[in-house]
Amino acid sequence: MNNGSTLTMMRQFATRRFFAVLVLFVLLFAYFAITQDKFLTSGNIDALLTGSSILWMVSIGLTFVMLTGGFDLSLGSVMAMSGIAMATFMNKWGVPLGIGIVLTVLFGLLVGALVNGVLIGKVGLPFLVVTLGTLTLYGGIVNLWSKGATEAIVSKDLTSIAFNHALGIPVPAWIMIGVFLIALYVQRSTYFGRDVYAVGGSPDAARLSGIRVTRVLIAVYGIAGLLAALAGVMQVARIGAASPQVGGQIIFSAAAAVLLGGTSFSGGVGGVGGTIIGVLLLGTLENGLSVSGVQSYWQQIITGVILIAVVVLDRVQTVGWANAFRFARRPPSAPSATAPPPAAAGSQS
Amino acid sequence: MPEAVLQARGIDKSYGPVKALRSVDFELRGHEIHGLMGENGSGKSTLLKILAGQLAPDAGAVYLDGEPIAFGDAADALAAGIATVTQETTLVPELSVAENILLGPRKPKRWWGIDWRRTRSTAVEMLGRLQLDIDPSVPAGSLRPEQQQMVEITRALSMDARVVILDEPTSSLPDDQVAALFEVVRALRDNGVAVAFVSHRFNEIFDLVDHVSVLRDGQLVGGGPIGEYDRASLVHQMIGQELENLTFETRATEHADPVLRVRDFNVPGRVHGVDLAVERGEIVGVAGLVGSGRSALLDGLFGLEADAYGEVDLDGVEGVASDPRAAMNRGFGYVPADRKTLGAVMDMSIRENLLMAQTADRMRVGRPPRGSEREACTATIERFRIVTPNQDNAVKNLSGGNQQKVVLAKWIATQPKVLMLDEPTRGVDVGAKAEIYKLLNQIKEEDVAILVSSSESEELLLLCDTILVMHRGRLAATLSREEATDSKIAYYGMGHG
Repeated sequence: MNNGSTLTMMRQFATRRFFAVLVLFVLLFAYFAITQDKFLTSGNIDALLTGSSILWMVSIGLTFVMLTGGFDLSLGSVMAMSGIAMATFMNKWGVPLGIGIVLTVLFGLLVGALVNGVLIGKVGLPFLVVTLGTLTLYGGIVNLWSKGATEAIVSKDLTSIAFNHALGIPVPAWIMIGVFLIALYVQRSTYFGRDVYAVGGSPDAARLSGIRVTRVLIAVYGIAGLLAALAGVMQVARIGAASPQVGGQIIFSAAAAVLLGGTSFSGGVGGVGGTIIGVLLLGTLENGLSVSGVQSYWQQIITGVILIAVVVLDRVQTVGWANAFRFARRPPSAPSATAPPPAAAGSQS
Repeated sequence: MPEAVLQARGIDKSYGPVKALRSVDFELRGHEIHGLMGENGSGKSTLLKILAGQLAPDAGAVYLDGEPIAFGDAADALAAGIATVTQETTLVPELSVAENILLGPRKPKRWWGIDWRRTRSTAVEMLGRLQLDIDPSVPAGSLRPEQQQMVEITRALSMDARVVILDEPTSSLPDDQVAALFEVVRALRDNGVAVAFVSHRFNEIFDLVDHVSVLRDGQLVGGGPIGEYDRASLVHQMIGQELENLTFETRATEHADPVLRVRDFNVPGRVHGVDLAVERGEIVGVAGLVGSGRSALLDGLFGLEADAYGEVDLDGVEGVASDPRAAMNRGFGYVPADRKTLGAVMDMSIRENLLMAQTADRMRVGRPPRGSEREACTATIERFRIVTPNQDNAVKNLSGGNQQKVVLAKWIATQPKVLMLDEPTRGVDVGAKAEIYKLLNQIKEEDVAILVSSSESEELLLLCDTILVMHRGRLAATLSREEATDSKIAYYGMGHG
């Protein structure tokens, strides 16, 4: 049985989208390392990592939401709002840095859980409408609160979070690793992690099994808010100021990273392990192209092409080349919204 | 003997290492209803898909009127006169019946637009040919499931289909609707159409088909006019061995000390004033047509109907459960009818599904104990004889019978006082059915009270100590095992009581 299950696991692994993305990432990394002298320098690798740190946080949070079959458009706004909140905590209230960070992260957690989480999980409103609403709402609050102005936060320790090294590795990279390991633990080694997959796989089956679906949904939107706030803190640390301008496009990159990592919009499959590969791929692409002196528009174009190519590859793996481009064949993973589920398993030979 | 319309010769088909079909020859003739029998996994669906041109065989060919065919999709097959109807309808629920019937071959006006009068009159004519009493102007979504299937068959007829493939069209229909559907199928045959019919219900096969073919492990193992078969010989050919004769002991129960007592239970609009009682170690069946309130009764007891009310007393705890968690805490377990969206999370592993209900009240930040979970699951898989390479396998990869065993095992793990099951063997093949019956009987021996709702009276007659018959939300009859018969259940179920 051991041999058999290892083989099955490898097969499952090989068919996963994130494996293709991992190969792509390695190839891309190798390509830049060979063709660009400046790419594989320690300074540049540090820059690649720290440059990805904000996307990393937001994407990991978004992964939990997408695993439940939802989405959170408001994370960019939450990130900007958290930065402004941090400026208020530190400059107006005069709290020290450590407490300021804790307050900011709690602020993000509460905003995510009590607004998006409650409206979606408890009241049962559709997630796209709710988070589109909060995206706009928070965007307005950010501008009102900051009066549209960037506010400097002067703190040496804060700057060191963004730019110092510990044991030869940049501090943001340590934070990234820590957040990832905690997220991976929560996802794989807690009952809550299982709940997330169950709710994404079939919310009704989860409820029938006694899982508190409402709480799970409130929790994932809370986690997404918390990590968006942490991204906001890191953003503030990088520029030494809270700006109302940040976070505008981040949700699109994050969605791309999560999808590249193998988590789908329909929920229930994927995970944070894939997401970080997606983030690293996007980070390498951005960094490598800028090192190569290519205009940044190309990065957008290539990201778009990769995203679509990977989804096509997915389709090819499930239905084969011949059927991949037929409209009529839905991949078996896509549940249909209207057709009644086949009650009889029939004879799937 | 009429000539073959659709012929398959030497069909081979493999999925990776699995051989789904091995040199199968098969033919469908006009004026004939051909039953295709076989257990789940025997290759029926694959063969039907190949016949319908939706799947290309690895070897062999399919001929329509002697001409080889190769289709890309359902539209090609339809255009050639081969229509497939499954229990999953392909109607557009928002469009009217007439629009659905003529969805493919629209009736355009000369220059632009659609001739609605002609659409309607053609639809009326087609419905009339099958003697269907369906209003062509109502939205298809408002019809009952069997009416929707009849509309699909009408559509097939309107396209001059010469071959109609019916893949388990009856698996979610109650008896009276099945009878109506069969009338239509016979009308099709009498119109000269070649019909292929798949069902797991033997009485349907003997009732309807003219000729039968049996598939086992991807090979055609037998076939002939239905008159040459009886139930035992057919089962023998399907599973390759004799099916042991199942009978279970009944308990004469007085209902002196029931563990579950329900009085005047209501789900507004669906269940009205139902009384029932279940003893420890008793199996009580609930019979009735689809829509009779059978499922709503179980849903209501499990806390899935927000407005349910009445007196419920489960081993001293009173009141209607407000949600599934509350019901579980009182000692209810529930195996719902629709295992794909309600019973199990199909993408998750067998282990995670088996433990889902049992661990629902643990601290969510806690860490599941991997080692002991694995051991427990290995034991469960063995006890329930779930056929799988390992417990990390996703439930969606299992056959219907094994999926159902996972759902059953999941609830037994919670050690319920009352286990409720809705359609416990729907879409499950003969062999697995017998195993599920035996498992239920084992659980009964362990003094669990069991409440089973089913549209198959055979199943209830085999399992239950007491059978309740529902009609339009009310209890129409309470029958002991001794007095219950197929026809009594049908009689009360139709509301004659």
